[in-house]
Amino acid sequence: MHLDSRRALTTLREESIKRLKASEKAVEHRFHEARLLASLAAALTLAGFLLVAQWRGVESYAAARDELTDRDLAVIIQEMTAENNAMRSEASRLELRVWRAGDDEESRGEVLNQAATELRDIRLVAGLESASGPGVTLRLGDPRGELGAADLVDALNELRAAGAEAVAVDGRRVEALSGFSERDGTLYLDARPLQPGPEFSAIGDPEALEQALKLPGGLLSTLAARPGVRATVEVEERLQLPALKTR
Amino acid sequence: MIVLALALAAGVAVGLLTDVAVPVPMLTYAGVIVLAALDSCLGGVRASLEQTFDDRVFLFGFFSNTLMAGFIVFVGDRIGVRELYLAGVVAFGVRAFNNLGTVRRLVFERKGWE
Repeated sequence: MHLDSRRALTTLREESIKRLKASEKAVEHRFHEARLLASLAAALTLAGFLLVAQWRGVESYAAARDELTDRDLAVIIQEMTAENNAMRSEASRLELRVWRAGDDEESRGEVLNQAATELRDIRLVAGLESASGPGVTLRLGDPRGELGAADLVDALNELRAAGAEAVAVDGRRVEALSGFSERDGTLYLDARPLQPGPEFSAIGDPEALEQALKLPGGLLSTLAARPGVRATVEVEERLQLPALKTR
Repeated sequence: MIVLALALAAGVAVGLLTDVAVPVPMLTYAGVIVLAALDSCLGGVRASLEQTFDDRVFLFGFFSNTLMAGFIVFVGDRIGVRELYLAGVVAFGVRAFNNLGTVRRLVFERKGWE
């Protein structure tokens, strides 16, 4: 009987110890759980926080990169705009040149025309071309041979000053380098003798020439002072002057 | 379980409310460290499900893992092997996925562990 109860007691004791241990473990377990949960929760909170921080950092980095690209694009756009402007100004400069060149063409034509006219005038003056047109005839009657070479030169100059384009004396063309000379009472034009009482033929504006010669103090009045000299001016409708005879 | 999810959400919320951002030069460090932290957390969850959890082990492991991760990136940066951080990424990533798999299995085994 004692053995049975002792065994029963032992079993009971063992069982209760087991149960106690189990409940201890259970408590430990739960306590363990609490601590576990707490630390896990703390760690997870930290992890979540880090996660957001990292995400934001990457976002700002990507944004910074995009910004840089935008800046690059802006720089590129700026460069292209500058290039564009440079090309535009180049284009307008070239256009201007083309326009001026066209202009030049016209003005070149004008210049050519002017040059041609000048050449003609020069040739006329030089006596290289025969000339015809209205003008005046200046006859210097000089039976006494009063007039000298200087007077003829004066007459020529007066005619030229009055706008004579071509002058001939006694049918001989006078050129720019022509000169009057005198020897032994004979008047010479370019070393060729002239008849006494030379006759000047001048092509130009007849009225102008006449007026200039008939001016008070002009050629006619000056010549009238010379004894025996009779100067007459006649307006001619058409004079034909030969070109200078080339020797 | 819900408590843990709430804890994670709380951390995220705090991060969103405050205007924190990892500065650009530290991005690689922070990336690997975050991965290490997540791995540690998953390991802790697994340990708790397996009932082998020891909070001291967990906390120590958590901080040592994160520091180790940062150290790997740092060394890689200094010795010129910038890609060394990949080693950290691979290591912690593999561990994290392993832990995740175990956790999944344990959850399905236990179902209503709480």
